[in-house]
Amino acid sequence: MIFDQAALANIKTGRDLASDVVEAPDVCIVGSGAGGSVLAFRLAQMGKRVVVLEDGGFYTARDFTMQEATAFPHLYQEHGNRATADMSITILQGRALGGSTVVNWTTCFRTPGDVLQHWADRHGVKGLTPQALDPHWSAIEERLGIEQQPADEVNPNNAVLRDGGAKLGIKTDLIRRNVRGCMNSGYCGMGCPVNAKQSMLITFIPDAARLGAKFYANARAVKIDFEGRRAAAVHAVVSDPDTDRPNGRAITVKPKLLVLSGGAINTPALLLRSGMNPNGRVGKRTFLHPVIAGGAVFAEPVEGFYGAPQSISSHHFARRAGKVGFFLETAPIHPMLASIAGGGMGKDHQAMMAQLGHLNSLIALSIDGFLPEDDEGGEVTIRGDGRIRVDYEIRPPIWEALREGAKAMARIQLAAGAKQAFSFHSDPVLMQSEGEVAKLDRAPWEKLRVAVFTAHQMGGCAMGGDPETSVVDSTLKHHHLDNLFVVDGSAFPTSLGVNPQLSVYGLSHWAAGHVAAAV
Amino acid sequence: MSSKGLPPGDGRRGFLEKGLIGGALLAAAGAGLLATEKTRRQAGAGGPYTVLDADEASIVLAIANRLVPPREGFPTPGSVEVPRKVDAIIGMMEAPTQKELRQLVALFESALAGLLFDGAPRTFTASTPEQQDARLLAWRDSRIAVRRTGFKALKGLCCAAYYSSPETYGAVGYPGPPELTAPIEQSSDESRQ
Repeated sequence: MIFDQAALANIKTGRDLASDVVEAPDVCIVGSGAGGSVLAFRLAQMGKRVVVLEDGGFYTARDFTMQEATAFPHLYQEHGNRATADMSITILQGRALGGSTVVNWTTCFRTPGDVLQHWADRHGVKGLTPQALDPHWSAIEERLGIEQQPADEVNPNNAVLRDGGAKLGIKTDLIRRNVRGCMNSGYCGMGCPVNAKQSMLITFIPDAARLGAKFYANARAVKIDFEGRRAAAVHAVVSDPDTDRPNGRAITVKPKLLVLSGGAINTPALLLRSGMNPNGRVGKRTFLHPVIAGGAVFAEPVEGFYGAPQSISSHHFARRAGKVGFFLETAPIHPMLASIAGGGMGKDHQAMMAQLGHLNSLIALSIDGFLPEDDEGGEVTIRGDGRIRVDYEIRPPIWEALREGAKAMARIQLAAGAKQAFSFHSDPVLMQSEGEVAKLDRAPWEKLRVAVFTAHQMGGCAMGGDPETSVVDSTLKHHHLDNLFVVDGSAFPTSLGVNPQLSVYGLSHWAAGHVAAAV
Repeated sequence: MSSKGLPPGDGRRGFLEKGLIGGALLAAAGAGLLATEKTRRQAGAGGPYTVLDADEASIVLAIANRLVPPREGFPTPGSVEVPRKVDAIIGMMEAPTQKELRQLVALFESALAGLLFDGAPRTFTASTPEQQDARLLAWRDSRIAVRRTGFKALKGLCCAAYYSSPETYGAVGYPGPPELTAPIEQSSDESRQ
């Protein structure tokens, strides 16, 4: 049983609070996603008293109805509407007990060794080596059942990447996934309806709750009080789970130690909202792996709405000398997201939608954060009215990577037998042969003329050796505070070049020792 | 990829590109100052609504009717209650975002804005389908990024409301979620209800 009485006793929602709550634990963790949940479990194991505040709701498999109309409002940040301020980049980021792990597509990679080396060489990060992280990754991989997807369980959408890549000499690999008993239904992005995905929701959260860690869902941390070099208290407003509006209740936590694990947008936002930005680096160097999609039409059905969403990847283009690298994966194809992403007006858009079952979608994810400029990436700020603002100007070297990614995808699709490949420009580029792929060179690679996405948010509270240029040190402790740690993807000094969940789990598992020692 | 609307003159482009559209013009539209003509109410835009008013709902439906034009097998946007669903999506947003979206809807409809931007001095709802398509394209392909943002917002809302409706699944060849018969190892989580 996943949620037995012992676990449920320590998971509260906005419905359960009859009055305001004050807690004084050893550690308060803001956020219950990949960073916060692993840390809550590890600290509870070490006998620490832990309180976790989660903005999102407590949903379980019975709530996961596989309908986009309910999944996005309930399970994604800003009810599925998060984007950069100019809406040029759509931001898919989870919001629920369990965070993005509830809705991610289950792809697992360890942090590449050369990325860790770059952090050491360029950003002064100490001690984060593949050797140091290995036992932590191994523990996570065992608990979450992370195994390679069987080769005979690759859906036709992913087979396009594998087969087209093979014809062109583009290396692809089977993806490792955190699933047990997966039915390959295809609905990872809307919450696993059969509890096959080993998200935080059904693993480390109940594990931690059974050990006494307390979780409050529907509890949005809005401000931290500081006293000198210490975080003294964190204040949360409580929402009604039915309306997702504040219900008048408040939670105040006065911990010995505070950990921010709200992810790469909400963590810097909470620090900024609380006036804690002594060196001006909070919210800077926000990385998104900006993503471009490539579509194709096949004569035979693809049914990209069914099957494990991601089972094949290619890092063939991840290391391009002197250029921004990119990696290739696939995206599941459900009607709402496809309609929002797809270009063409009126009849043309509708004609694309009418072929949904015959469409393939590949994605190219650009690897940002490795350019020489110190101010690379986006920025998280707070608007005058209190809303979070994310800005991200795609620089020319990243546009170049997205354009080359689009060309690679079209070639792969055509090699795999597509009748037509198309881009996600407002005015789509249509390609029926290899010779037409060059049309992409003449297409407008400019914001809001082509759909760009992110499902991977990183940075904004970068770790590093220099207190003037980074936010946390190599143990993830804030440079300018004695009892505040950042344990989530916002601590990454660059993007990763791989899907981030296992990197965040491993970092959190590793950091638990540092956090516990500081209590 | 050029705009289908009239290319703005240099002076006007300077005015618009200084970002005034993002503030003064949006605010003027929201306050009804650009509403030189009344919105034509659309059949099928019936409420009740939580955020939008009846005019705004009519504008949304008129936009949706061009994004999803009549085609065999496709239910009409009105029949799947696109305005009510868009209203529900906007209703979940923070108050300042709601206000901005309502201003955007008003600006998109405005005859004066149509004149200033594209030399088309009529409301969107009073335009012919061809004129409506031209206005949508003019926003989508505008040199002014904030107009492209506006198009993206309106298109996203209408498409989300329409294509997430199960009544439209048949039109796009989507059988819908599968029947899953595996036992769900659930819990005593009834007790949290």
